Amino acid sequence: MRAPSFRVLSLVVLFGFAGAAVTASVVTRNVVRKQQELVLRERAAEVATVLGATFTGLEPSLESLGTIARLEPEHPQQFVDAAQALKTDGSYMVVTQRAAGWLVTATAGHDPGIGEVISGARQQLAQRALAGHGLVSGFVRDAGQLRLAIAIPGAAGPGTVVFEESAISPTTPAASTPSGPFRSLDIALYLTSRPDASTLIATTAKHLPLTGVTVNQPLKVGTETWLIVARSNTSLVGSLTSSLPWIILTLGLLAALMMTAIVETLSRRETYASALVAKRTASLETAMTELEESNAQLLRQERLAAMGRLASSVGHELRNPLAVLMNVLYLIEAGAPEGTNEVLHRHLATAKREVSAATLIISDLLDYATARGPIAAPVEISELVVESLSVAPPPDGIEVVLLDQSETPLVVDADRDQIRQVLLNLISNAYDAMPDGGVLTIATARLAEAAQISVSDTGVGMDRQTRDGLFAPFFSKKAKGIGLGLAVCKRIVESHHGTIAVESTPSAGTSFTLTLPHMVVMAGLPA
Amino acid sequence: MTGPAVLVVDDEAGMRETLVAILEMHGYRVSSACTGEAALMALVARRFDVVVMDIKMPGCDGVTVLQEMDGPPPRVILMTAYAKEDRLRAAVDAHAFAVMHKPFETLRMLHLVADAAEEAK
Repeated sequence: MRAPSFRVLSLVVLFGFAGAAVTASVVTRNVVRKQQELVLRERAAEVATVLGATFTGLEPSLESLGTIARLEPEHPQQFVDAAQALKTDGSYMVVTQRAAGWLVTATAGHDPGIGEVISGARQQLAQRALAGHGLVSGFVRDAGQLRLAIAIPGAAGPGTVVFEESAISPTTPAASTPSGPFRSLDIALYLTSRPDASTLIATTAKHLPLTGVTVNQPLKVGTETWLIVARSNTSLVGSLTSSLPWIILTLGLLAALMMTAIVETLSRRETYASALVAKRTASLETAMTELEESNAQLLRQERLAAMGRLASSVGHELRNPLAVLMNVLYLIEAGAPEGTNEVLHRHLATAKREVSAATLIISDLLDYATARGPIAAPVEISELVVESLSVAPPPDGIEVVLLDQSETPLVVDADRDQIRQVLLNLISNAYDAMPDGGVLTIATARLAEAAQISVSDTGVGMDRQTRDGLFAPFFSKKAKGIGLGLAVCKRIVESHHGTIAVESTPSAGTSFTLTLPHMVVMAGLPA
Repeated sequence: MTGPAVLVVDDEAGMRETLVAILEMHGYRVSSACTGEAALMALVARRFDVVVMDIKMPGCDGVTVLQEMDGPPPRVILMTAYAKEDRLRAAVDAHAFAVMHKPFETLRMLHLVADAAEEAK
């Protein structure tokens, strides 16, 4: 079967091309992603550099504030002025470690006043700064507000810590300026080296944590490490490049579909063409066979017709000499002295019988060769059967049984002479089949649209081969006759649009069955 | 010779001669002709009671002779071995007494001739 293999081919093409498209798309996507990551990493590093610079500037500012606090402890306003000169949003203070705790010794824009003791997160931060000998950072809460605190130790003398605090609102996205260098990034800044939501300082993203392609960029602030998490919110490698995997996938899938369609169409076309060729070849072969058969049939018919013509002309030519022979025999018999020569009379009788036999053969030949159409008139079947039996009475030892199964006289439209000829032929064949005697049964019956006559004997029967060739012209297994009787019968019955069939069992008997339509539409008679 | 006069017409010598012999044996006055034309001349020359004539003959055939006969027509018995249907129909139309198909029983022929001669009286 070719059709299913073509469908497999289509599937192979479809999955092959689709697979290639997907693979190419994935590879491209990875390449683009790596490129994007690389660019993102560079941008995040830039962000870290910028932020780092801010804190680098913060440390000297806090140290100088510490110096002012140490040198001018009696003039707190100078501290305030110096803090304001920094022009930041933050507030500043200096705390000093005493026995009672961490005392505020200077402040600018800050809630705890001078002389107050700090506690909680601020205290821990101050201790951490002092212990770490460098800049530290942390969150403090003041009146419900979250503040980012940065502290450096020792700037206002031993045991002192300078604070800078500024209010933050980590969950509110910080707007990045549309023209800013990092507008294409979503950034989250954490106080620790891990992206923990509780340590978030600020973000430009609306939703956290950042997902997708992100990079983590550590940021060194004093002695501590902060974390910058960055993600690009637009393509960093150009929209075409980032769309490239999808373009490749789409084009690849389209190509796969197109190739599949083409392969499928071609294969279907070929399947159709093959089927058409096979169909036409088959019908051509059938036509050839029919032609050969009809040629053979024609040839057979022509041969039969030629034989018929030959038989007819020979038969006719023989009729004259036979007629003369009859006359001569008559003359010899008439001329011979009555009773004087018995042998001569016996020979004359034999000669006459043989001339009659020859005459019968010629009649059969001419019946077959002339083939006249039926001249129909109403014929009563049982009457015709009786008449036929009177013309051909049963020889000694043969019993005749008539079975008439129709209630009313069975009448058909038929050529009386021709049907009688058929009956005579069948009856005489039946007699011949029962040389040692038997029963001849002639049964008539009325069918729906036809009369049925069967002529059965209990004679020798015949084998299948004999039965099959029975109606063929010049077919005879008898010692006498030329084998035209049943051929003529068949033609007569068929010219009445009837049928003739035979059943036979060797050594059991033979039965011929005729059907004749009640009404016959007669063919035109020969002129 | 006082029996009925019979003219036998057949181009076949054997048929003609045996018919003449048989009819003469039965007391008929028999003449014979071997063509249709000769038969017509004989019929003009003499009166016949019965004509026994083949249909198919070269030249003028039996049916034509029957159609062209003048005067008191004799009874005509036609013989045929293979006459065509239209010639048979023509023979019937021309009032042939009988048509005999060859070969025929000699006795049947004699009966027909006797019947024809009886009618011709």
